[in-house]
Amino acid sequence: MKNFDEFSKPDEYISPMDKHLRSALRNWATKEVMPYRRKYDEDWKEHHLIEPAFDKLMGDKGVGVQKALFPPELGGWGIGRSDYAFTVACALAEEVGRADTAMAVAFMVTYWPLTTILVDPHVNWRLAKEFAPMFCETDKAVFAANAMTEPQGGADIENMDILGGKTIRTTARLDGDEWVINGHKLWPTNTGGVAKLFVVPCTTKLGSHDPNDFALIFVPADAKGVTQGGPYEKAGMAADKNGDIWFDDVRVPCWYRAHGPGMDAQVFREIIPWGLVGSMGFLCGAMLNLYEILYDFVSTKTYNNKPLKENDAIAGIIGRIAGDIDICRILAYEGAKMGDRRNKPYGYPLYSDEVACKLRNLKDFVSDRAVDIFGKAMDVLGAYGADREYDIEKHWRDIKIIQLWMGGKQLCQMEAARYFFNCKTL
Amino acid sequence: MNKTLDELFFYPLDTVDEEAQDVLHLVRQWADREILSKRQEYRENIDPLFIEKRNTLNLTIGLQRLTLPEEHGGFGWDHPSRAPGIVSVLSEIGRADASIGVISAMQCAIFAVAGMPLYSDAELSNMLASAYCVEELRTSSVILPGTGSADKETSLFLGRSIAATVKTDGDGFTLNGFNMRPFSSGSCADLFCVVCADQEGRPCIALVPGNDRNILRGRTLQETGLNSCANAEVSFNGVHIPKSHVLIREGVVEEIYAWLNLFLGSVSVGVGMNSFEIFRDWAETRTIKGGTMMKENPLCASVLADVADEIFTARLLLYNLAHMMSKPEDWKHGGFQRIYTFSQIIGSQIQQKIVRAINRGLELMGSAGYAKEWHVEKHWRDAKTIQSYLCGVGAEAPVKMDTARFFFDCKEI
Repeated sequence: MKNFDEFSKPDEYISPMDKHLRSALRNWATKEVMPYRRKYDEDWKEHHLIEPAFDKLMGDKGVGVQKALFPPELGGWGIGRSDYAFTVACALAEEVGRADTAMAVAFMVTYWPLTTILVDPHVNWRLAKEFAPMFCETDKAVFAANAMTEPQGGADIENMDILGGKTIRTTARLDGDEWVINGHKLWPTNTGGVAKLFVVPCTTKLGSHDPNDFALIFVPADAKGVTQGGPYEKAGMAADKNGDIWFDDVRVPCWYRAHGPGMDAQVFREIIPWGLVGSMGFLCGAMLNLYEILYDFVSTKTYNNKPLKENDAIAGIIGRIAGDIDICRILAYEGAKMGDRRNKPYGYPLYSDEVACKLRNLKDFVSDRAVDIFGKAMDVLGAYGADREYDIEKHWRDIKIIQLWMGGKQLCQMEAARYFFNCKTL
Repeated sequence: MNKTLDELFFYPLDTVDEEAQDVLHLVRQWADREILSKRQEYRENIDPLFIEKRNTLNLTIGLQRLTLPEEHGGFGWDHPSRAPGIVSVLSEIGRADASIGVISAMQCAIFAVAGMPLYSDAELSNMLASAYCVEELRTSSVILPGTGSADKETSLFLGRSIAATVKTDGDGFTLNGFNMRPFSSGSCADLFCVVCADQEGRPCIALVPGNDRNILRGRTLQETGLNSCANAEVSFNGVHIPKSHVLIREGVVEEIYAWLNLFLGSVSVGVGMNSFEIFRDWAETRTIKGGTMMKENPLCASVLADVADEIFTARLLLYNLAHMMSKPEDWKHGGFQRIYTFSQIIGSQIQQKIVRAINRGLELMGSAGYAKEWHVEKHWRDAKTIQSYLCGVGAEAPVKMDTARFFFDCKEI
């Protein structure tokens, strides 16, 4: 094998933009991130080092990826209306994740709320026009956040099919031509003072499990009544800030609601596959970088005075690691294909229990393999495994949270059980 | 009402005598009062508090003298039969802070190899006693064989490269070794225990006071965990040491590995037990599916069961190993090979179990498991760091080779 690009991916389904995008992102990663990423942990609060790299990734004078979802007529790249949207998202997540999964998360999560209004067939042109200048006409990185998780229920809010939003405590009340929002959210990516725009999953009727009472409302971060707490200090993922947000009688125009009763719940369900495919992309990117580092280590370090890779027992371990990376990458792109190639080859509708279940399965599997092989790779490095200079330990810390988020492993398992075994009471 | 940790994680109580129970009680008080009840403050002011808490443990309670002979002012736990007691104490320290635990474990392992009356000579015992029976905090460190470099052949210890060498030099030895990576505390250790090769390439151990001007220390490393240990690479540039400071007896390197497996296993079990306390608290105070207490959900309960299972069996294995190592006669007549192999197997299992337990428990805590304010992420990083250092050089391959060699008489691996 010549290099990490030769890990399998289904070229038949790859976007025509793939080569160009990868080249631009790899160039950015090499110049702007790789030389500095070992210092990111200490930059978790201020982002003095991280912010300029984000500007060059997302802003108009850099790669400009933050406008990718917007239609060309509004200054974007039109990915939201492309049949390759998921595959492109997977490739972007992978390339940025190879350099730093936290940066990949932060910039991809900017897309997350925007998919509800920019992806076919749910384009909300009025909101698209409203927010396009914010993202398409600036040199600076601009972030959005999906203000989802609430203090009392954790991932319950993602469990729409079972709970129907009944545990949501953040409320939206229509007052004339404005929504009035009250509530408390925590942990969304790009909070802690970062995001300029939130989408807020909330309820118009406290305690209701009727999907018509579920609302997705866009809230600019500078709206009166929005308060953001400082970022949490975490085990890793320094480039991704998370914090609390309070909404106290926050007023926004009534047309800032994504779509309306019923459809808001529908598009909210549809964003879950984006998060799952993105997660697999982040993990694959980190694993490709692991391979690069590990290749060098096992070629230059010895056991029994022979390179590690030439010892049969160690070869067995690193062979399994590389094999897992290959399988995970195939699965990630297969997942992206389920999103893109609707009705062919899998024949899935835009959203179904089946799509959600199968993507959660894939994400769960890839997460498990990633957690396992990073742990194993650290052990291959022995006394150097925990050393920040070798970069694997940073990925090891970072990728663990990918396994934990979006309801974590147990939600994935429950969805699989419900779907495959028709469980009725779970 | 919650059961105590000792009720939950059973271990053979009769292996820990009354005196050891008294010391354990003191250390548990230290852990609870000084660190566990003040986690947040400890985390936010770690540099000064790390020293302060070590001072309390090592000087006020006196654990710095724990494994030194009574006649030199120590506690007299200088015999293999004390292994279960030492294990209990180190577990309790690890429950509070793995870094303090690791530094303590290093010292106990060094003294076990160099200070036990079974082996030690008077000059070496005097050196250790005069260095450690003082009212000043001491830090010791161990440098094990590890990976070699493809451009240089070295002497080997069962496949692992020995990067340091000793040569006879007048009435002593000269030690050389460059850019060597200690297990911990490279930037501040005042005693190094270095596995090195003698002129014939035989593995041996050199004890090197840290104040020699020919010792060069690199910058402090940033690592996944155990950062309070302040590790750094160390070079020994022709360091002269007395003859008594070099231990050449057969099996001495196997011995240091065996003791490290036992004592670091103790620290990791302690880390696992406090992680258990955190997971238990979480599962009893969080709800899922709109109101069910987490621990009452069968799927979450099965994850919690896995966590408990891993820690429970790790602790049982640990005391089993301690019992095995507590009989000095078993070490003789080549018995060290057997003990070394068992310690490798059990030590590796303990590390894997604790890392697995914390990894699984984190699944239930979601993002909170990852946030520093919940403290379990530190245990996760610390446990993984211990595992990588102790078991590393090609992951579990060396341990597997040691095992295969013992059980199947492999000659060439």
